Amino acid sequence: MCLAVPAQLVSTDGDEAVADLHGNRVKINTLLVGEVKIGDWVLIHAGFAIQKLDYQEAQETWAILRDVDKAAQTVESDESTKPRIDEGLTR
Amino acid sequence: MMQRISESRQALDRLNAAAAGLRDHVNFMEVCGTHTVNAFRSGLHSLMPKNVTLLSGPGCPVCVTSQGEIDLFIELAGRPGITLCTYGDMLRVTGKAGSLERARSRGAEVRIVYSPLDAVALAAQHPQRQVTFAAVGFETTTPATAIALLEAKKLGLKNFTALVSHKRIMPALTALLESGTVNVAGFLLPGHVSVIIGYETYRPVVEEYGLPCVVAGFEDLQIAAGLARLTELVRDGTPRLENWYPQAVSAEGNRKAQEVIERVFEPIDARWRGLGVLPDSGLGLRREFSEFDARVRFELTEPDSTEPAGCRCGEVITGRCTPAECGLFGKVCTPINAIGPCMVSSEGTCQAWFRYRRQATQRRSDAATKG
Repeated sequence: MCLAVPAQLVSTDGDEAVADLHGNRVKINTLLVGEVKIGDWVLIHAGFAIQKLDYQEAQETWAILRDVDKAAQTVESDESTKPRIDEGLTR
Repeated sequence: MMQRISESRQALDRLNAAAAGLRDHVNFMEVCGTHTVNAFRSGLHSLMPKNVTLLSGPGCPVCVTSQGEIDLFIELAGRPGITLCTYGDMLRVTGKAGSLERARSRGAEVRIVYSPLDAVALAAQHPQRQVTFAAVGFETTTPATAIALLEAKKLGLKNFTALVSHKRIMPALTALLESGTVNVAGFLLPGHVSVIIGYETYRPVVEEYGLPCVVAGFEDLQIAAGLARLTELVRDGTPRLENWYPQAVSAEGNRKAQEVIERVFEPIDARWRGLGVLPDSGLGLRREFSEFDARVRFELTEPDSTEPAGCRCGEVITGRCTPAECGLFGKVCTPINAIGPCMVSSEGTCQAWFRYRRQATQRRSDAATKG
């Protein structure tokens, strides 16, 4: 039930937007994610966008998965406050 | 495609390498119906090292709903003048008086909605009907209900109510750990619940219980990677909280969603199948929204939770027994004639086990029980 699916926005109108879901156009509510623009990727659940997706972040994670040693170095040298893997998540 | 296969293999290789360094058999637990189904469907269980088991916890909303609440949904649907709106998952769950599907075949007005806002729209279109939304689900689903209620209030609808049975995941995890009856070495945490509540919510599991926690996405690769990390953390004796679904999950979660939940609901004690009544584990409507509370408007009192005779769903969803250990499983209780909710729900452990693992179970009756 908690499945949410990623989809890309093709039009926006106030608190509503239309997303392309595998070729289908679905109307969704965007109140939970704030401002969105055409081309944004969002997670959709029960007719609502519940999160904007950050694929840059995802790619970095998988790069880290491929090489944990490199990951430790990346995290140490990264002062960004974004959620990160490993040390970044451990107080 | 090739890259994907290679990544999946890497994740499995890491899982196997880490498992080789374990001293004892370990059980991990996922608490999400989508994890349950995808782990089975992808064949991950049979690819996992022999000394690592993935158990299903209380993560399927339909399965954790108490029998009393299910009876309440069905009873309300049968009343004249009521239109009961629900997500499709609830339709076939059986109570004392059959299921919502059966109630519908007897003339009850039961509608499947995709979004709770559809139920609000239905109420606005049909002022002569009392439209009730059966609100089940964890934190992923709760904000949608909250917004629907805010919308109904804005529209001043007098014929819309919600029968709220929303649950919160953390009190269930804590209760499981406190019960001491479940042998779990770490949690694979649900991606989409975490989108809303944020991964920091799970910090106490690591700090107070010393168990590693990994937030994972839903593809087989993501689940395998999450299990690999959990296994590594156990092997290394370094319980930590890690987020392996960062494209969607942040430390603090979706603040807007948390705000709407907070505005409409307040934590209340709630009854769970298999876990009993857990403090602050459910959500009730705040006083300002009590006019939209189906329990108030229709003076509903929850019947006692009498579970179907012989059904062990409560133990299955708390990792205390496998479906194969239930006497009804695969004999009386099948997807066609489901007795308990775990067999009814497409996300239920029993249904996934029946579809993807029954033969393995028959061949190896001692398969994957808890250590």
